[in-house]
Amino acid sequence: MIKLLILIFLSFPVFGKNLYFTRSGSVSFFSSTLIEDIKAKNDQVTCVLDAESGQASFRIPIRGFTFKNALMQEHFNENYLESEKYPNASFSGFIEGWKDTKFNAIPTPIMISGEMTIHGIKQKIKENGTIQMKNNKIYGNATFNLFVADYGVEIPKIVRENIAKSLSIDIELILKKK
Amino acid sequence: MRKFLIIFLLSFTFAQDDLLSFIEDEQFVPLPIQGTFKATRIVNAQSVELPRSKTLEFIITHRFGTMSNGFYDLYGLDEASARFDLSYGFNEKISLGAGRSSHKKTYDFFSKIKLFSQKSTPSLSFASIVLFSKVEIATIAKNENFNNRLIYDFQLLLARKVNQNLSIQIIPTLIHKNLIQRFEAKNNLFSIGLGSRIKLTKRVSLNGDTFFPLGGRGRYVGFTQSWGLGCDIDTGGHVFQLIITNAQGTYESAYIEEANGTLKGGDVFFGFNITRSFNFN
Repeated sequence: MIKLLILIFLSFPVFGKNLYFTRSGSVSFFSSTLIEDIKAKNDQVTCVLDAESGQASFRIPIRGFTFKNALMQEHFNENYLESEKYPNASFSGFIEGWKDTKFNAIPTPIMISGEMTIHGIKQKIKENGTIQMKNNKIYGNATFNLFVADYGVEIPKIVRENIAKSLSIDIELILKKK
Repeated sequence: MRKFLIIFLLSFTFAQDDLLSFIEDEQFVPLPIQGTFKATRIVNAQSVELPRSKTLEFIITHRFGTMSNGFYDLYGLDEASARFDLSYGFNEKISLGAGRSSHKKTYDFFSKIKLFSQKSTPSLSFASIVLFSKVEIATIAKNENFNNRLIYDFQLLLARKVNQNLSIQIIPTLIHKNLIQRFEAKNNLFSIGLGSRIKLTKRVSLNGDTFFPLGGRGRYVGFTQSWGLGCDIDTGGHVFQLIITNAQGTYESAYIEEANGTLKGGDVFFGFNITRSFNFN
């Protein structure tokens, strides 16, 4: 029986993980058109990175995005992202070539790929970023673009000139060891 | 031992699929519900919504003449009763405003105070509660004592967003008139309003509101129960509300106590509210 228990223990990967995490990572997006620039920031991003395997998961609460314009923020939640129906965006994937990635105090370019889910729609993505290790913390950064239409977010005709089709996304994370 | 094993097994199966589950131990924070109504008015009635924080809201309400004259005056379009309404949201809980209506040349000053927000947890936070108060100053009579011009309105707006598409609101109301025209009339008029919104699409909804009088209004005082039916169209920056109602005035004492139209013979009023927000953040 004890042997069985030990076997069960070993079969779960929990004990082989070397986790780094944050609950206050930030994600911001930027939409720029001739008519107006729209910016929103979210400082409630949860991210977990397994430093053993290079696997990473993100959870981004949609209600956490703050806009300068409160009405815009409400429309973002009510009409575009439908945050009551889809409260979180998420990403789950891995950093490519993790075993060969060197950690040091200088930002190292990496490639992260996996599945992004926004507004209930899953898309495979592969984006560039940087990673560095400083004072036993992992600093992660990524900037990339995504298309609003890929995630089934409709922009009505009347504001089509105000909202960019492609948003610039900026991610900044400081992960500490669990 | 077996029981222990099963519990042990169960406790791990959850953790397997996602890294996030390794750190999921934070409490769920309930958030205030947004967008119970599109605008600060349901049709005629005040909704539980305030102008957003640091936002100046400008509303033009417009009611045409009675539709009962038919084509002669193009169903009332030759006549109009308008109101300009400016209000400012200092934060999420307090807003102040002022308005001027052509109906009885009335000026008014009002406040909305959010006492409680409906939250995303079911428990006790099931409704939003707003206190609305207003003082109206009718200036149509030229020689009148200032005190006699005043009417006070107090309302408790209780609203619940039942789901994404349905919102309902109950409005206990007290209207105090300093001056009454007839001996039988009352200074204090109580009523209960009911309002609702049904969303048709994300940006279009059907709205309705009505007020039931509590207690008599005096035997010789003509009283008609007021109602309004509307359609909200949210275009992003503006909310357009297209309206059919039996009251022509668009401030509280006018649309609650002085409605006079009846559906019979088409004696009702077509109109619209246009809401425009200016953000100062």
